Amino acid sequence: MDRRNSRRDAEGTSVITANRLLDGRIVWLAADGQWATLIQDAKLFPNSAVEEALKACNARAQEEALVGIYGVQVTETDSGPLPVTSRERIRAGGPSVHPDFTPDWHAPHPAPYA
Amino acid sequence: MSHSPSAALPVGHYAYDDVDRTFLKQRVAQFKDQVERRLSGALTEEEFKPLRLMNGLYLQLHAYMLRVAIPYGVLDAKQMRTLAHIARTYDRDYGHFTTRQNIQFNWIRLEDTPEILNVLADTDMHAIQTSGNCIRNVTADQFAGAAADEVLDPRVYAEILRQWSTLHPEFTFLPRKFKIAISGSQQDRVAARFHDIGLIAREGENGRPVFEVFVGGGLGRTPIIGVRLRDDLPEEDLIAYLEAILRVYNAHGRRDNIYKARIKILVQALGTEEFLNQVNAEFAAMDRARYRLPEATVEAIRARFGAPDFAPAGNAAEKLAAQRKADRAFDAWVHTNTHPHKQPGYCSITVSCKPAGGIPGDVTSAQMDLLADLAERYSFGELRITHLQNVVLGHVRQDALYDVWQSLEKNGLGEANIGFITDIVACPGLDYCALANARSIPIAQKLSSRFANADLQREIGPLRLNISGCINACGHHHAGHIGILGVDKRGEEAFQITLGGSAGDGDASIGQILGSAMSEDETVDAIARIIDTYLSRRTAGERFIETCRRLGTAPFKDAAYATA
Amino acid sequence: MPLLENGQIIQDTWQIAVEGESLPTGDVLVPLARLSEGLGRNSDARLGVVLSSADDVETLRDALPRLDVVALTFPVFRDGRPFTQARALREHLHFKGEIRAGGHVLPDQYEFLLRCGVTAIDLPEGADPAVWQRAHEAFTVAYQPSILNEQAEGFAFRRRLA
Ligand code: HEM
Ligand code: SF4
Repeated sequence: MDRRNSRRDAEGTSVITANRLLDGRIVWLAADGQWATLIQDAKLFPNSAVEEALKACNARAQEEALVGIYGVQVTETDSGPLPVTSRERIRAGGPSVHPDFTPDWHAPHPAPYA
Repeated sequence: MSHSPSAALPVGHYAYDDVDRTFLKQRVAQFKDQVERRLSGALTEEEFKPLRLMNGLYLQLHAYMLRVAIPYGVLDAKQMRTLAHIARTYDRDYGHFTTRQNIQFNWIRLEDTPEILNVLADTDMHAIQTSGNCIRNVTADQFAGAAADEVLDPRVYAEILRQWSTLHPEFTFLPRKFKIAISGSQQDRVAARFHDIGLIAREGENGRPVFEVFVGGGLGRTPIIGVRLRDDLPEEDLIAYLEAILRVYNAHGRRDNIYKARIKILVQALGTEEFLNQVNAEFAAMDRARYRLPEATVEAIRARFGAPDFAPAGNAAEKLAAQRKADRAFDAWVHTNTHPHKQPGYCSITVSCKPAGGIPGDVTSAQMDLLADLAERYSFGELRITHLQNVVLGHVRQDALYDVWQSLEKNGLGEANIGFITDIVACPGLDYCALANARSIPIAQKLSSRFANADLQREIGPLRLNISGCINACGHHHAGHIGILGVDKRGEEAFQITLGGSAGDGDASIGQILGSAMSEDETVDAIARIIDTYLSRRTAGERFIETCRRLGTAPFKDAAYATA
Repeated sequence: MPLLENGQIIQDTWQIAVEGESLPTGDVLVPLARLSEGLGRNSDARLGVVLSSADDVETLRDALPRLDVVALTFPVFRDGRPFTQARALREHLHFKGEIRAGGHVLPDQYEFLLRCGVTAIDLPEGADPAVWQRAHEAFTVAYQPSILNEQAEGFAFRRRLA
């Protein structure tokens, strides 16, 4: 069983996610084929098309420096796609116990790394 | 060779020499090469993953997580400052102390990792074998070298085991991870019976120690209390015997199912008798001279540990007594957060990393620097991380306690709750962990806020509360008097309560599940009702765990599931 | 397949028994199941045996004096049983012949294999021997005794790696 159980069903809608190999950060496949850091930018796929899309992404994983590519079922809301599981909602929003650590967090101090 | 520790040696841990430092730099270079081969595609992700894990680098929910080893939980002020520097420079200004006496950084970049490892190596630190299917960080009693009831200093043996297990040629691709704990006193403060191998030392005849050897204990999805293989293993056979156990495990442990791959499953499958026979057969057949641990080797390692240069007690005790009388809050803190020391005039302090409503075990870089300063000024530069996610200053003069406490207070580290219900052990859970079912931290925060009142905590008395976000049990929920386990209910978080677990003091037991899982808020309320039940049903002086054992789980279950 | 031995790539002259066919003449590696057939061969050619990672080396005890090679197999690099097999062949059975490791092996495991008594690696086709050499030279010290009986490095169990 896929431990990243994202509860995809036959009729639903999904987005595609991965982690960047270099910094480990979460990314979402956007409509322009780029990988975005915000789920709001993710492209929606009908679940019937997800497996095909994943296959294509996995074929490019090494050259695009991505790991752990998979599909996440979402519902569409006014503020963008919302994953159906708590796990994926936390992945998309950042740790709930650090509300400041949103996906576009930047170091508040001039450290060499963010 | 001098056996008396010199002043230049770090107090409480082994002093590296040039050979050890060269090794660390070589290990960093090796990892750098592995990263480059991964980026070039020469190593697949499947091949790279175990290699990075062996250097403590996980891919977690949001980013890479780096787990830095703190062997037997001891580090010095310089090393603590290095950790603060890493938190500030490469992470988000904090770190998380774990139940394995390590520290984890949650926002690390793979591309920075070789450099971070280099920075660590500059103060004799590393991330070697903090993950992966190998022999992990050896844990020891957090009061080692200070506890009044100690028979021998387990850190010397933990260091011997650390060195022996470092890049062990035969045991680096075991069926599963392998954890060893060692206690230097009969009061088992390391949960020896919950480890793959647990060692409890005592004085043997002829003045050299002997070890009780437990094997096959563990928590996780199949909690099992370890069985005793040896009662009196002589010091000189320590390495040989561990080799024998690991050889049997490496050859016969299951590799077809990662959930059945720990040594405890092998011991259960073979039966204690047969497992013992196989270990003894291996032990009898091996080249014992090669693996013998001579007294001289133990003493050579011991000689590289610095020892505190204690001052006479003077009137430290009277001064402390006067300060306690004068300041009630300080007195309460001394009650809960200090531990008797074998040296007159001194005591050990446990610094609580569990502020009310806070994240158990999280410490900011500024707090790390403060702890380093305090250690330098008051505790011979030595710091310890406990398996309950707190920090110990091992050797503080009693007349310095007041100053230390005031500094801690000012910096959010003065909570007087060690051993109480708000001294919660919690794993990172679903906020960070890729394996989690549910969040551990928010429920810990709610519980520690709910029971924040100091008088209430004191009234409730000693109580261990442990939270794990999934069945892997990193938060040791089965060993908590009250345990909370995160489960997945159709994609939603839910929690099971266990009752009656205990980790040590000669009465290890595994917590019983009370009933079906509840939501986070229901669980917090249920625990409040369990506590009320205890307070109304206990007999005079009876601790929570004792009441549980006397009454069984039934009345607590009724309370937990009672709806208003 | 190329064979890595003492830092050199050499051509492997051994043949591997083919299932369902009689054993070839010349040096041959047979699976454990065909060991007695191999031992019964009327030939001066050398014999070796290929073990799976699940095989118990103890079953070779009687045959070992007549074997020149024991080939260990990693079904996947994470299966660490061949390390114990190699060490047991050397330490318990005092085998003096060649121990090969093949299958899915990583250069990162090379030094461990050598220290457990392996003497030759069946390199995957196209492997870069320089990476293996680098792995061999990565460390100058080890922290435990091995069957190679390396020289002590200072105190405790430290050993100097050549
Ligand atoms: C709130 C309830 C309190 C409890 C349950 C309590 C309990 C104890 C216990 C068990 C000890 C002896 C063990 C030890 O030294 O750790 C002790 C020592 C002491 N307590 Fe308390 N105490 C309480 C409040 C206070 C207060 C309000 C004061 C002073 C205003 C106070 C002053 C002291 C002093 C001076 C000592 C002796 C310290 C020494 O021997 O070095 N305690 N207390
Ligand atoms: S117990 Fe589970 S959720 Fe918690 S840290 Fe371990 S694996 Fe993660």
